[in-house]
Amino acid sequence: MTDEIPGLRPPSPIRPYLAGHGEDQLQQPNDPDVSPLRPYLLTSGRAEPVDDTLEIEAQILTSERGMASHERLAFEHRDIVTLCTTTMSVAEVAAKLRLHIGVARVLVADLAAAGYLTIWRPGSGLSEDLDMIERVIRGLQEIR
Amino acid sequence: MDSKKFAEPSARPTRAPTPVKIVIAGGFGVGKTTAVSAISEIRPLTTEAAMTSVATDIDRTGHVPTKTTTTVALDFGCITIDRDIKLYLFGTPGQDRFGFMWNDLSQGALGALVIVDTRRLEDCYPAVDYFEQIGLPLVVAINLFDGSLTHDIEDVRWALTIADETPLITFDARNKLSVRDALLAVLRRTREQAKARTGG
Repeated sequence: MTDEIPGLRPPSPIRPYLAGHGEDQLQQPNDPDVSPLRPYLLTSGRAEPVDDTLEIEAQILTSERGMASHERLAFEHRDIVTLCTTTMSVAEVAAKLRLHIGVARVLVADLAAAGYLTIWRPGSGLSEDLDMIERVIRGLQEIR
Repeated sequence: MDSKKFAEPSARPTRAPTPVKIVIAGGFGVGKTTAVSAISEIRPLTTEAAMTSVATDIDRTGHVPTKTTTTVALDFGCITIDRDIKLYLFGTPGQDRFGFMWNDLSQGALGALVIVDTRRLEDCYPAVDYFEQIGLPLVVAINLFDGSLTHDIEDVRWALTIADETPLITFDARNKLSVRDALLAVLRRTREQAKARTGG
């Protein structure tokens, strides 16, 4: 493993669109990633996660690498890494950090691609997995 | 500045429960959040979902959007099924213009519970249409607000024009066991469809 982080820019405390010093850059940000849409400021304007199949019920947990490097992360990433020291779903991250679910998906996918989070995904074909269906039925029947 | 604040957990999980989900859809005020609250073991959480397809277009073209972004609330709760399985319940508005969200929600779902209010039957049509179209196992549940059904259930089925094999049930969204039974109806339908598909 190298320290190269695929899919994630080096963490910076400065938002990407503020990084330029020239006036031109400030007035006309030419970074195509910068969007006028407010919720996606946190994701540099990207609306699609690195992995756009990431389920909102997928379980995430901060990895040891994430714990070790959380101080170097930008605040929105750091919040997630700090929160996910217990396992929870992408949807729970969104709710607890008051993020749009779409924004949470982008950030979680970024962090996972960089190795800061571990993700457990539901797996495909669950709706045809008879064993799984039977277990869910039995579990619900236990509810009194 | 933040100092290192993580105590190394003594028993760090090496695996997580498999998440499964059921989508709960229906018109506004039909009892989706009530149903999730009745059975969820956590206080139901709310997050916001936005129209991501519009945002993608903005990114590509750099143009200011002509449409405004719609934000809707997505309520959810969860139930621990056993050591290895966690069931999530996602409650989503069923109106047509929120269809964009159903893709994400339905992907990998075990099935859907569509809640109807017999006073506003038409509110559930888009949800029923969508789930039928993508072949997601579906149960339609009439929420009995006042404890009794004012219409003959077969009349309701006729009015909804749902497929004969789609179960139509009544339930009380405020009652935990009633919600449990409605979810069980969804899972039995899922099992039926899975058996039909796999020839089991």
